[in-house]
Amino acid sequence: MGSSEAETQAQSCPAAGRGDPSLADATLIDPKILAQPNDFYRALRAGDPVHYDPKLNMWLVCRYDDIVTVLRDPITFSDKHGYEAQYASGYFEEFKQILEREGGGFFPDAIKDDPPAHTRVRRLMERAFTAHRVKTLEPGITRIIVDLVEKLADKAANDRIVDGVSEFAIPLTISVICEQLGISQFNAEKIRGWSGAVTAQIGRMQSREQMRANAAQICELQNFIIAQIRERESQPREDMISDLVHARTEDGSKLTFAEVVSLVRALIIAGNDTTATAIGNLLFVLATQPEVAGALREAVEDDRLLNRFVEELLRAEPPVRGLAKMAVREVELGGTRLPKGAHILVMYASGNDDDTRFACPRKFDLNRGNLGTHVAFGVGVHRCIGAALARMEIKVAAREIARRLGGIQLAIPPEEITYLPTVATRSIASLPLTLLRRSSCLTAQTS
Amino acid sequence: MKITFVQVNGVEKTIEDARPGETLMILGRTHGVEGILGDCGGGCSCATCHVYVDPEWQTAVGPPDEIESATLDTVSNVLRANSRLGCQIVLRPELDGLRVTVAPSG
Repeated sequence: MGSSEAETQAQSCPAAGRGDPSLADATLIDPKILAQPNDFYRALRAGDPVHYDPKLNMWLVCRYDDIVTVLRDPITFSDKHGYEAQYASGYFEEFKQILEREGGGFFPDAIKDDPPAHTRVRRLMERAFTAHRVKTLEPGITRIIVDLVEKLADKAANDRIVDGVSEFAIPLTISVICEQLGISQFNAEKIRGWSGAVTAQIGRMQSREQMRANAAQICELQNFIIAQIRERESQPREDMISDLVHARTEDGSKLTFAEVVSLVRALIIAGNDTTATAIGNLLFVLATQPEVAGALREAVEDDRLLNRFVEELLRAEPPVRGLAKMAVREVELGGTRLPKGAHILVMYASGNDDDTRFACPRKFDLNRGNLGTHVAFGVGVHRCIGAALARMEIKVAAREIARRLGGIQLAIPPEEITYLPTVATRSIASLPLTLLRRSSCLTAQTS
Repeated sequence: MKITFVQVNGVEKTIEDARPGETLMILGRTHGVEGILGDCGGGCSCATCHVYVDPEWQTAVGPPDEIESATLDTVSNVLRANSRLGCQIVLRPELDGLRVTVAPSG
């Protein structure tokens, strides 16, 4: 699309944003920007698309094309080095010692390595998450979700306020991933705590005291995982932890113990955290954007439209905000010269909001021809491996919510919704809602 | 087996030693065919191995299944009647001589 065409579309777009905030002193970790970042992203895309954020000491990559350039070149823009520089917010050595002392060891994340080491593990994991395999999980996922939707409706009876995040989104995604992993007995609140502790390590906003508390949680998580692995070493079962314990990679080697611990940890955390965020976002937009609720009602019994609804939700409200990379050499990106060692934050949500790629980006539009090119799952060798599973969970949740619930409304003003303090995701902390069971909802409308 | 890719830039790339059993995506990615990325690794979930099957080969290759059609629908702006995802085409002797054109990214 030429720039003049994009400009014309931007001018005629009824959902275009308000005036640009000043870029001077602007930092992503301003709480107001973290909560409502789209104006900030748009201003940076227009005026400073590879923006040095002095408070983070990182370069924010904001344009769609630059994001894709970074993600398509994992050798120049190293995930491993970007991740390590981000990890534990400046308290890495102390963090590592705590894990070695009390958490069975420090296990580097195998999924955050660079090629070719990364490729060995990636090829193995890809087999577990194909769209065709995930399709076979749909009945089981539907059972879990129907149960949770019905429980939510029960709790919300008589205008009682429910929390869409802690009482629906989080238990949903934790139940699904635990079933896949073969963890039959689990405490969802505990796993929620562990998830927060792990993701805080790339959030850049924890104090030393918080790091220590989080490290203690991660020790508990790792000790739990190690016990699960030990059980399956002697007695394999039909589950994903057993598959990892006994797997052979393409080169015929087994995974190391450290790799298995890191992969199970990654599956538990990545398998619930971002998808729960997406489902929280789903409830939020259904409660606050009538046109989205209308789009879902029209899509709910049409599989093609429902798939498109999920994809547009991921484009418009992506769970992941920014993940780190590091330039391993001096390199030019989007007109800016980055020094060797430049620490980069890839702003996925900004890419999805880029009107040179997605016309009128704030409009929720199921008919976009290039929906599948959004970057909510990333691009390239580190593209989200669980994308098909995440989509399935969101799709079934959207379908069962639309079929069974109605009258979903925020119980507090939208500006009072708070988000977790992290640069890594944009996650609603708590979502107080009122809602009705659909049968009673219809009765209420007709009576 | 011989397989020909017409890359997005129009330049043809013919691979003479393709083996039955591997997918068209793996073949193209291994040989550096421009535009065959295979980000999801062959899981039919990303549409970065999208090709147009030459009309004379369409019957032999066959149509996409429901799951593949759903993934192709996410790039409907470049979708054609002969669209397939390379990761879902497993090479077999009947496809010796197959010719496909790599679709532009959506």
